[in-house]
Amino acid sequence: MPYLSELLDHKVKDSADVVIGRLRDILISPKAAEYQPLEYLVVETKKDGENILIPYSFIGSFSLRAVVLKAPINKITVVPETDDNNWVYLKRDVMDEQIVDVAGARLVRVNDLRLNIFKDKMSVVGIDVSTKGLLRRMGLEWLDFGDWLKVNLIDWRHTQPVRGILKLDTVARNLNKLHPADLANVIEDLNVKAGSQLVVNLDAKSAAKVLEEVDPHLQKVLVKYLGPEKMSSILGQMSTDEIVDLLKTMPKDEAKIFLSYLQNQKAKKIEKLIKYEDDTAGGLMTAEYIRVSPDWTVGETIAEIKKVSSSLRSIIYVYVLGSDEKFLGAVSLRWLLISDPKKPIKDLVKTFPLSSVLRVDQDVEDVMKVMTKYDLYTAAVLDKEQRMLGVVTIDDVMRHLVPQA
Amino acid sequence: MKDKLHHLWIKIIFFLGVIGPGIIAANADNDAGGITTYSITGAHFGTQMLWVLLLITFSLAITQEMGVRIGLVTRQGLGGIIRENFGVRLTALAMLMMLVANIGTITAEFAGIGSSFGILGVSKYLSVPLAALVVWFILYKGSFRTTQKIFLLFSFFYIVYIINGFVIGPDFGAAVKDMLKPTLEWNAPFLLTMIALIGTTITPWGQFFIQSYVVDKGLEIKHYKAEKVEVYAGAFITDIVSFFIIVSTAATLYKHGIRINDAADAAQALRPLAGDLAQFLFAFGLFVASMLGAFILPTATAYAICEAFGWEAGFDTTWENGKVFYSIILLTIFLPAAIVLIPGVSLIKIMIWSQDINGILLPFILIFVMKIINNKRIMGEYTNKPVGNIIAWLTIIGIILATVALVVTSFMGMN
Repeated sequence: MPYLSELLDHKVKDSADVVIGRLRDILISPKAAEYQPLEYLVVETKKDGENILIPYSFIGSFSLRAVVLKAPINKITVVPETDDNNWVYLKRDVMDEQIVDVAGARLVRVNDLRLNIFKDKMSVVGIDVSTKGLLRRMGLEWLDFGDWLKVNLIDWRHTQPVRGILKLDTVARNLNKLHPADLANVIEDLNVKAGSQLVVNLDAKSAAKVLEEVDPHLQKVLVKYLGPEKMSSILGQMSTDEIVDLLKTMPKDEAKIFLSYLQNQKAKKIEKLIKYEDDTAGGLMTAEYIRVSPDWTVGETIAEIKKVSSSLRSIIYVYVLGSDEKFLGAVSLRWLLISDPKKPIKDLVKTFPLSSVLRVDQDVEDVMKVMTKYDLYTAAVLDKEQRMLGVVTIDDVMRHLVPQA
Repeated sequence: MKDKLHHLWIKIIFFLGVIGPGIIAANADNDAGGITTYSITGAHFGTQMLWVLLLITFSLAITQEMGVRIGLVTRQGLGGIIRENFGVRLTALAMLMMLVANIGTITAEFAGIGSSFGILGVSKYLSVPLAALVVWFILYKGSFRTTQKIFLLFSFFYIVYIINGFVIGPDFGAAVKDMLKPTLEWNAPFLLTMIALIGTTITPWGQFFIQSYVVDKGLEIKHYKAEKVEVYAGAFITDIVSFFIIVSTAATLYKHGIRINDAADAAQALRPLAGDLAQFLFAFGLFVASMLGAFILPTATAYAICEAFGWEAGFDTTWENGKVFYSIILLTIFLPAAIVLIPGVSLIKIMIWSQDINGILLPFILIFVMKIINNKRIMGEYTNKPVGNIIAWLTIIGIILATVALVVTSFMGMN
């Protein structure tokens, strides 16, 4: 079955063998995530050089030498080409453009398009991203006479054109299959405009995750591009420590504007966190964790976890605080699951060695030592009066250690 | 004290961070090929080519501004745009031309490194391989951004040429007269130097560099006015330095009939200011400028090619995924270094001929730029104004004519 590059610029003849013109492009409808049948051929007429659109149903045969139509030209319902039609032009809009290979979680360029019969209709089924495709486009395929190079086709359904040729709802649908970390890497590879467009089209929750993952330099650029309105909805979905990191990269007056977009409660938490140095427990910690009172039962605690877990990154421990915010200890999810639901929490609280909690001013090295020594996924951060300020989670420490990943 | 020093560094680096692309690209123009070409222009032809310098200052301003504008509107590198609008074949052609021009320029940078150490008595067989390894190591392991900024800072060294110019007190009246009165000689040496002068001032890589700089920095079209001013200022500043290099060498070397055969000869031009230290000063400046180019060019080349062909790029990709990217980096570092190490090859000639290659290939890259910037589908309301088109096309035609003249005179000279 043919590649698009093998058909373009060939002669188009009607059933009487009269040359009508040359094939310049092929149109499909702008829907993503399924194989698209070819709808129209764009033919530059021999007569006056104007482009006409010939419905695909009039195509008789598609050989590598010429496109032959089923009927004589005067029997064909030809459509004139308008400037603002909604079709996707395969050559103009898809060939040579960047696409996100959703299955491979990477960014590639379209070297060629593979056509094949799908459900009785000639459709676009694959995108050639291989070097062999490049050689074919240059007419240099003979260089690969030993057939060393492999064609690398990406399934059309698993791709996502980057430019705004497809509608927004399909964008989100396809990209949501990617892990935010992979999506962040793709966006880092994209040019700024395309990258920001992708982020704009994501829902606030995914956008927040992606924004947390991209490198700080790009973060700054994206924030600028997204603008205050979109950013405030994204900030609403981000955890406090990530917001703090983000705000620290901005000039003070800009940061203030963003802060004003947040709910009062969250803004207050952030103002508290922002004063700590980056590489201390205070700078790493987030103010979001599950706190319970010692008088609660295990059942009540599990109900609380179910209620709030969607907004938290880690629920491995719940933290037990006295009435005066004093830290009493922690209970692991494991203990909660295997204990009698009627049992009060205070019976489960392990007496914690004081050395397994963190002080705000401890640096990353110390944080790592404590967390490694006691095998903690999250560690509580306390002030001098033993009041709990927040938790440091293992992923924040990892991010600090391997910022490039 | 250490803390204070550290603080100062951060401040300086931050300052360089906000300096815009116009000044940086223009300053990076004064690399090994640049300083050598300007020196030879002045030493061999006096001030009679200053009119070319004056004209190409406008060309430089206009072409760099076009690069900025394309970057601001499309937010994409030149390689990517060429691919999306000209298909695979023409992209391959454009990339090949850029690759050849850039390998030429990088060869000039390594020749510059060899020459600067040569002045200090260190063999090129030691300095060049070492420098190549350092460049590779810092690109692969270190922080490219920081290193680039540090070398940029040093490269402001060229201000000494301006001071030097005033110390010599050359005949500025005559210089200005030559600037306004075009003179041409129909022989190969003159045309070779003239094309090199153009090719080192307006470069193919500079066109790619300024555009991706604008994109990476996340600048938007609302910054356009400020960027335009900055680019024009950058072109003007860089050519003031060029002007003083030419005037300095004209007033010293040309006056005494000294021809430049190696870097030590070119260094003599700084004698009025620096006395016996002239050699060291020149060696330092040449080294720093060469290193800056040796850092920027391999990376810029690899990014542009990978962007155009859709290969994965960046020093955070694995070797497996980034095969092509790393191959281009290695090729563009070690091939030029190897060329410089050929026994008996003239480093000065490498430095000036590589600029000729740049000059000869430049018009073709500019034609791509012109096609893009006048395309309404790409640029919308930001297509070129007639003045910009006229100056750019005159530049393109001018260089092509000079190249044709060079070929013709070379053949006539052989008979």
